[in-house]
Amino acid sequence: MKTPVSVLRLPRGPDPNSRGFDPNSPRFVALCATSISASSKPGADPASLQTEQRARSMMRERFLRCLISMANKKIQFHMYEKVKVDATFGASDIDVLNFQVSDLQTPIGVQTEALIRCQDVISYSFDM
Amino acid sequence: MAMRQTPLTCSGHTRPVVDLAFSGITPFGYFLISACKDGKPMLRQGDTGDWIGTFLGHKGAVWGATLNTDATKAATAAADFTAKVWDAVSGAEVLTLAHKHIVKSVHFTKDSNCLLTGGNDKVLRIYDLNQPDEAPQEIPGHTASIKRALWCHDDQHILSASEDRTVRLWDRNTSEAVKTLSFDTSVSSMEYLADGDVVLITYGKTIAFYNAHSLELIKTIDTPANIHSASLHPEKDFIVAGGDDFKLYKYDYGTSEELESYKGHFGPVHCVRFSPDGELYASGSEDGTLRLWQTAVGKTYGLWKCVLPEDLVCENPEPLYPVPAEIKA
Repeated sequence: MKTPVSVLRLPRGPDPNSRGFDPNSPRFVALCATSISASSKPGADPASLQTEQRARSMMRERFLRCLISMANKKIQFHMYEKVKVDATFGASDIDVLNFQVSDLQTPIGVQTEALIRCQDVISYSFDM
Repeated sequence: MAMRQTPLTCSGHTRPVVDLAFSGITPFGYFLISACKDGKPMLRQGDTGDWIGTFLGHKGAVWGATLNTDATKAATAAADFTAKVWDAVSGAEVLTLAHKHIVKSVHFTKDSNCLLTGGNDKVLRIYDLNQPDEAPQEIPGHTASIKRALWCHDDQHILSASEDRTVRLWDRNTSEAVKTLSFDTSVSSMEYLADGDVVLITYGKTIAFYNAHSLELIKTIDTPANIHSASLHPEKDFIVAGGDDFKLYKYDYGTSEELESYKGHFGPVHCVRFSPDGELYASGSEDGTLRLWQTAVGKTYGLWKCVLPEDLVCENPEPLYPVPAEIKA
């Protein structure tokens, strides 16, 4: 009876809550270009970097506050293939890949709970 | 004392794993990408199988996946009629290349500037990734779906395998087929090894080796089962293969002798690849898992630890990890 080879631990599986690519991993820190376009231009001055970063933070905050204010409101989604549907907004996932909605009004009936794929959405509007 | 192989199971996919590819060796180790019918290709650390991230965006089964040599870019081919290029460090989608049918195969040139795609519309396409809006160079000719397309000969030639039962060698500059190999049955897989200029082709229960320039047959190995995929060790010592009977087979390349066979998967094995350093090989199966296997069983490498017999017999005997008969992550 041969002895099985010992193993230190099992391979780590996927994290159910995120898509991974840990920004704190040594590889990410070493290789990932910053997404601030001002800093990738040669001769970037710190002032323009700061302005750009401030603008980005402001836009991000606005977007997040917009998502918060959408909660439980009726939203009209304009999607590809001339699709226009109404639904009550529930939540977005962390990467803004899917929106969780309720009472999705479709031409073939009302879907009590549904996930809308964000890449299929062109625009959405709602009354604040 | 001979030891029994302990495969490491990487779970996470929810549907069959149909393709996998290793990167080259980078300063951060080497990496593995898996293509799955669940539409969510995953990146893993090559020597441990640890999950790094999932590329999200495809809307259909992913049939092919590849990494560039330094694992900074990934490309995937899917049933949603697109091939996508990804940043393999951040996981972000960089490019979507629309096709007219299911895309089955993607391959980067060595400098990562061009991407070769092939699929069910029977046309090979070369995209210049620095000019993504430009139309790709198209190479028609195959009369049925392309299963696999690879760069070879310093990216001057293309090798393609198709359901039309041919493998063709193309000159990328003239778009002409330089050589054609015909088979009586569908080719199940194809691999190219630059070192030695060898093409490995599997069909039915046969693993065959050809010279990549002349497409002359070097040798064939017959196996007990229909083989879906095989891989040649970087130093050309061994071949590993897997197929319909769920087992992994290991052959000596020089003598064509079957050395070992391993049970483990719960479904047909769709893809097998050696790591760039040859220390392990990975297999992807219909059962939705990837398994990592040691080339030299018992050697300390990655997550495997060599425990010598003397260490096992001591005052406080405690194995490093209690190993059950079947390990699942």
